[in-house]
Amino acid sequence: MSVRRFTNRTRKDEDLAEEIASHLAHEQDANGARGLAPEEARRQARLKFGNPRTTRENVWRYRSIPWIENAWRDLRFALRALGKTPGFTLIAVLVIAVGIGVNTAVFSVINTVLLKPLTYPDAQSLVQLLNATPRGSFPGANIPKFNVWHQQSGIFQQVAAYDFGGAGLNLTGGDHPEQVQGMHVSADYFALFGAPLAAGRTFTAVEDSPNGGHVVVLNYGLWKRRFGGKPNIIGSTLQIDGQPYLIVGVVGRGFETDTPADLWVPYQFDLNSVDMAHFFTVAARLKPGVSLAQANAQLRLAADQYRRTYGADALPPEEGFSIISLQESMIGDTRTPLLVLLGAVGLVLLIACANVANLLLARASSRKRELATRAALGAGRGQIIRQLLTESLVLSLTGGVLGLILGFVGVRLLLRINPGDLPRLGEDGSAVSLDLNILLFTLAISVLTGILFGLVPAITASRPNLAATLNENGSRSGTGLRSGKLRSTLVVSEVALALILVIGAALLIRTFQKIESVDPGFETRNVLTMAMSMSGDRFQKTGPFAQVVRDGRDRLMAIPGVVDVGATNCLPLAGGFGMSFDVLGRPKGNALSSGGAGFYSISPGYFSSFKIPLLRGRGLTEHDDAAAPGVVMINQAMAKQYWPNSDPLKDRIRIGADAGPAFAEEPRQVIGIVGDTHDRGLDSDVSPIMFIPIAQMPDAETALNSRVAPLYWIVRSTVDPHTLVTSISAALRDASGGLPVAHIRTMDELEARNTSRQRFNMLLLTIFGGAGLLMAAIGVYGVMSYSVQQRTQELGIRMALGAQASDLRGMVIGQGMILTLIGVVIGIGGAFWLTRFLASFLFGVKAWDPLVFIATPLLLGAVALIATWVPAVRATRVNPMAALRLE
Amino acid sequence: MVLKRPPEAGEILQGTLDMLILRTLVLGPAHGHTIAEAIERTSENALEVEQGSLYPALHRLEDRGWLSSEWGVSDNNRKAKFYKLTALGRKELNAATGRWRKMTHAIGLILGEAKE
Repeated sequence: MSVRRFTNRTRKDEDLAEEIASHLAHEQDANGARGLAPEEARRQARLKFGNPRTTRENVWRYRSIPWIENAWRDLRFALRALGKTPGFTLIAVLVIAVGIGVNTAVFSVINTVLLKPLTYPDAQSLVQLLNATPRGSFPGANIPKFNVWHQQSGIFQQVAAYDFGGAGLNLTGGDHPEQVQGMHVSADYFALFGAPLAAGRTFTAVEDSPNGGHVVVLNYGLWKRRFGGKPNIIGSTLQIDGQPYLIVGVVGRGFETDTPADLWVPYQFDLNSVDMAHFFTVAARLKPGVSLAQANAQLRLAADQYRRTYGADALPPEEGFSIISLQESMIGDTRTPLLVLLGAVGLVLLIACANVANLLLARASSRKRELATRAALGAGRGQIIRQLLTESLVLSLTGGVLGLILGFVGVRLLLRINPGDLPRLGEDGSAVSLDLNILLFTLAISVLTGILFGLVPAITASRPNLAATLNENGSRSGTGLRSGKLRSTLVVSEVALALILVIGAALLIRTFQKIESVDPGFETRNVLTMAMSMSGDRFQKTGPFAQVVRDGRDRLMAIPGVVDVGATNCLPLAGGFGMSFDVLGRPKGNALSSGGAGFYSISPGYFSSFKIPLLRGRGLTEHDDAAAPGVVMINQAMAKQYWPNSDPLKDRIRIGADAGPAFAEEPRQVIGIVGDTHDRGLDSDVSPIMFIPIAQMPDAETALNSRVAPLYWIVRSTVDPHTLVTSISAALRDASGGLPVAHIRTMDELEARNTSRQRFNMLLLTIFGGAGLLMAAIGVYGVMSYSVQQRTQELGIRMALGAQASDLRGMVIGQGMILTLIGVVIGIGGAFWLTRFLASFLFGVKAWDPLVFIATPLLLGAVALIATWVPAVRATRVNPMAALRLE
Repeated sequence: MVLKRPPEAGEILQGTLDMLILRTLVLGPAHGHTIAEAIERTSENALEVEQGSLYPALHRLEDRGWLSSEWGVSDNNRKAKFYKLTALGRKELNAATGRWRKMTHAIGLILGEAKE
């Protein structure tokens, strides 16, 4: 079949018309030649040819593709029909746009977090190595584990170690020292993640072994920013923490790691080390053809080998090693919350569908005569359904385009306000981009939505009852019993769905209130925190480290407006390290130690800066230094848990006895008990913590801390701490010999960040619930006003027979409220069943919180009452004479 | 682009008209009226061309690339669209003639005409 057939149809038709005229002329000539009179010659010619229009139509039809023709006609007609009722069209499109918009928004987040593959080449074979324990699996490794994993060449192509987050490194030299994100990695890191190279090379195995020298690989961004992209940078040196580092390579553009890095330096592990401290993470690339199950089986053998080599203390028999895909590991526990959100927006879309279906039903009954006329003129039922469905699809696709814009812009704005603590979203949600997945998703739900809300009204409207409809008096062509029922059903389901959403939102609002009302145990007002990277050889020993802390405190205290100054390696709400301890003179039984607790190194001033109360004993002073006897402070939770019936202040504890010889400590006297703080987040229980003076830390601990975490400074002031940033930074730079500070934040900001996930969930569900509530109100209003309009005559007669305005108002409101009530009952049932999926979002509130389950239906009832009030009042304004005269 | 369709029973008549048109044009370019006249005259008026199907057929043949057309002036000094056989059309005519001969021969055998 030639495409020529379908092109230039109009021109070819004109051509044909001319051709036929020419034919007739020739025929007429021939007839004339046979002696017929001109008039007769013309008549005969026409007679012989037949109807030229039929011929043209035949050729025209031959040149057409019927279904496209039909679709095009339906589309033009739909646009015309929708254009005639702009009010209806606008409302319907807006409702659909909101319904589809929220779905697009949530899906685009899910797409980015859960669906998009990692950006590394062949990312499916990347796995994260985990410690499997009866309490769950956690990342984290020490050198002996890395050593054992590294030897599993049967299952792994590469194995690489890298920092969790890292303490940051200081670029010194030049005019402006700068704290950068430096990552320690083992040599295979770059091959493992498929890092492209812009120049030079990555680390050799020799450079990644002890005494391998100071070498560094730069990231593209730092190379451009600090060195202006100088081409011959390889071989020059960079001052890091006062030491010259040889630049051996530059990683190419577009290599983005999960924790962004500006530069990389080799770990230089001593693989013979028996240091048991976990201070880095390990990822690996599976060999081609090796499955997760095979690798996990092999790792069970590796765990046995590790246990034989390093002892059961290092790896208890119930623990082992395992892997999961790197992507799964990054997604973590965000899958369920995101799917719950998707469910919530699904409900919003259903409500939107019910709403538009309702509008369409009302519209269809006012178009009854038009449709009946069409049917009378020969339109088949299928044709009418097709026509009405086309209108629905035009609505839903228009709403879909609008929703796509709405949802996409909305989600970017939302993530800018609050990224919700979700992984993989990039800076302010910048990783959420419009891609084919999102477009297809929006298209698919648009089409589905159009069919969902359009099909039932279309089928109802196409039900043939020609004679009755055409004979009906125009004003009485009212709602049939059936479509009235259908509409009531739709309203009831709208109310039910909206109630479920609003109950969900209310539960999250209550959760947030509960979290906000938790007393964190410390004061956040006017407290500024900042991080200083204590990297470099200088801080491998406690002495110089403690000296910087002491000098820094003195200088900061001298700044006018500063009230208290403290330093620590663990900020409240940021989590911290843990250590085991033994209470001296207490029998351990079979246990390895008396217990475990948080292990925070602090300076004097830490508790007063946060206004954490000292409950018993004494606080730290500058005199608790390396020369003085070892001391430790504990929090109340630790006192309660480990000294239920005795006085901790009379005991001494030995910390880290089973953590290896490097961490071995002399016993410390418990000198004070302080109030509890919610250190791991406001929604977590308080945990036992021990506080050790920075000046009394073992050297190995100081070295480890310097490597994995920055030193945090805490400054409480009488004025807005932001005004002191410049003088504080200057004072600390002087005290530390030129170290910069970074991550300057108030504790209020940190606290807000800590609750950002709850805030995110609450915000979203409140938006969804509000949208659902509004749509349900529109639905109730629409049905009641329609019913009042249709019953004008009936109301008129009632009035004429003596009904009072209040009776009529009561009647309309009663009907509206009965529908609402049915919806509320169903909704409460649904919510009881569905809120269990919210359980993991909730804190301090039960999934069936009675307050929520009573207050929310009341709220919805009030909204429905307002929605029926307007039509009810309208019912009382019916003029009986006018209503009856309509007859 | 030409797609060969298997000859179907219902299309024999249509196929025949196509073949007749192609055959008529072997003698040279002609316009619709002449083609109809030529077919009727040559067949000694045994065949009458349905005018309503002549023009659809001409357009179809042109779309298939078997004919080309051009507006010109007829013997009567009137404007007319002249159709011309293309190389492709000539090939199709040969094929169609072959098919037709084979079929009439076969039908002839069945009807017992071969013995005469």
